[in-house]
Amino acid sequence: MNNVVEAIDQYCSRLWKALHKVPTPERDEIVREVRSHILERVEAEPNVTEDILAGIFRAVGEPGELASEYRTQAILSRATRSRSPWLLLRATMRWAASSVGGVVAFLATLVGYGCAVVFVVCALLKPVFPSRIGLWLAPEQTLSFGYWNGRLSGTEIYGISVRPPASFALGTLSATDGPVRELLGMWLIPVGVLCGALFFVATTIVARWLIRRFVRRKSWDVSPSYANSLAQNGRA
Amino acid sequence: MAEYKASRGLLSSSDERSEPWEAQLRKGSLEMAILASLWTGKRYGLEVLRSLDGSGRLALAEGTLYLILNRLKNDGLVESKWVDAGTGHPRKYYWLNKTGRHRLRAMARFWTQFSSDLNALLEPVTGQKEDTSANE
Repeated sequence: MNNVVEAIDQYCSRLWKALHKVPTPERDEIVREVRSHILERVEAEPNVTEDILAGIFRAVGEPGELASEYRTQAILSRATRSRSPWLLLRATMRWAASSVGGVVAFLATLVGYGCAVVFVVCALLKPVFPSRIGLWLAPEQTLSFGYWNGRLSGTEIYGISVRPPASFALGTLSATDGPVRELLGMWLIPVGVLCGALFFVATTIVARWLIRRFVRRKSWDVSPSYANSLAQNGRA
Repeated sequence: MAEYKASRGLLSSSDERSEPWEAQLRKGSLEMAILASLWTGKRYGLEVLRSLDGSGRLALAEGTLYLILNRLKNDGLVESKWVDAGTGHPRKYYWLNKTGRHRLRAMARFWTQFSSDLNALLEPVTGQKEDTSANE
């Protein structure tokens, strides 16, 4: 019996370690519940052999995989209530690992927060580089919000750029030649702050809405069947 | 994808055998089945599993059950409490709260109507022995 308790302790210890990043009270609760479940299963056995115990562990799940599901659930659950861009990005990144929808949500969140950062940073840097930061109208009707490299040949603007008919870049578009014209002057500061705040709020709302939808739709795998585990353990 | 899931031990043997739509149908019904197993009163995890196991095709991974119960609790549909059951270790009991009962009733109403409509559509298919000559 001591060996059985030792094996259960080892299993629970592996699960506890694998649950890193899950808040401690939640982590303790999960391990306590799984331990209680394993003990229930063991107590229901007239004779606990090594094979039976291994079958019980198999039926409960490999600690690393089980912990991964719990970590995903914990981060998604916190993300639905959070305003932290970091947490929302982490949640969508985890989601991205499992589906194309997640990849789209992650990219949308990344671009949204990226734009917010560009607007705010430009507003802050405008007084420092008044002739280089701006809303630029460049050749080929390229409209860019950001930092101009100061060249008329090989013009590049680092920030947010749009070019008809359907080019968008967070970073820089390919270089163009010709004059650039600044459109906002010092108005860029309030416009940048306002747009940054709007992008931040809108991205947070959209990311949380997408994550909530995902959490509602997430269907958990109907994995190793309980019936099979019973059969394997000779209890069926 | 199926191979990936199988290698991670996330697919049951029944899932491996079944068509994707069957697995999806089971997954979609699981939450309702777990809520239904709590309809008659408080139950701990293993009791919930046994009641699902009795339903044959609804069997699920034991570790997965607690994930779902945890989610249902986060959604405010079930409550839980540790109880010293005199077995040498405490058990965590789950039960439906008012919101959970309300939700389950709504789900049951929808399911009854849905399955009834579908059964009516399938009646000519299931109520007749296969007749290959009809297609010739």
